[in-house]
Amino acid sequence: MEPAEHEKDPVVEAYKKDLDRTLLRENLKLSVEERFRKAMELARFAEEMRRAGQRVRPRQP
Amino acid sequence: MTDFEGLLGTLVRHDVAFIVVGGAAAIAHGSVRLTSDLDIVYQRSAANLDRLVAALAAYHPYLRGAPPGLPFRWDRVTLLRGMNFTLVSSLGEIDLLGEIPGGGTYEDLRPGAVSLSVFGMECQCLSLPQLIRAKRAAGRPRDLEVLAELELIEEEAGAEES
Repeated sequence: MEPAEHEKDPVVEAYKKDLDRTLLRENLKLSVEERFRKAMELARFAEEMRRAGQRVRPRQP
Repeated sequence: MTDFEGLLGTLVRHDVAFIVVGGAAAIAHGSVRLTSDLDIVYQRSAANLDRLVAALAAYHPYLRGAPPGLPFRWDRVTLLRGMNFTLVSSLGEIDLLGEIPGGGTYEDLRPGAVSLSVFGMECQCLSLPQLIRAKRAAGRPRDLEVLAELELIEEEAGAEES
């Protein structure tokens, strides 16, 4: 793969240190379709959690 | 929630010339970040605009965030009057982009794009280097963390190749 040519950005480099490479490596083992299906599952889960949060949050007067 | 399979399916079935960009392209390349919409760069020929209109018409596209009741017409004339459209539809959210910073138009991007085999269909997607260039050009603070992840993916891919 031809890498994108660029100078190193110190902010981007700082972010890299905190990223979980093992998570990325596991994701790279999946097919493209599996990555999309996983993303849609996560989005569904996030939406469900958001709804659950709204139900327990006290209503504003 | 956006139905990526449904949106890509209708675009491919209608033979729309488009390239997947943005967060969905990042997912295709291995990003673990969530995205809520499908971003595409579309070709702006009259014939392709007609195909795009036909592809989404059944899913009631409407301007995302706009108050209900605006006289928004989903047709070729509307597409000709603008360049980028952020839409919501019954299949979820889709952004139609005439061009992107750091990449340009469909014609500019097409030669470097990669073919994506997903959900039993083939579509075009930004290559990882194209995606990195586009994110770098966008230059928004929120893009920097995405950029970090994409560069790590590129490093991992390079390590696997060597």
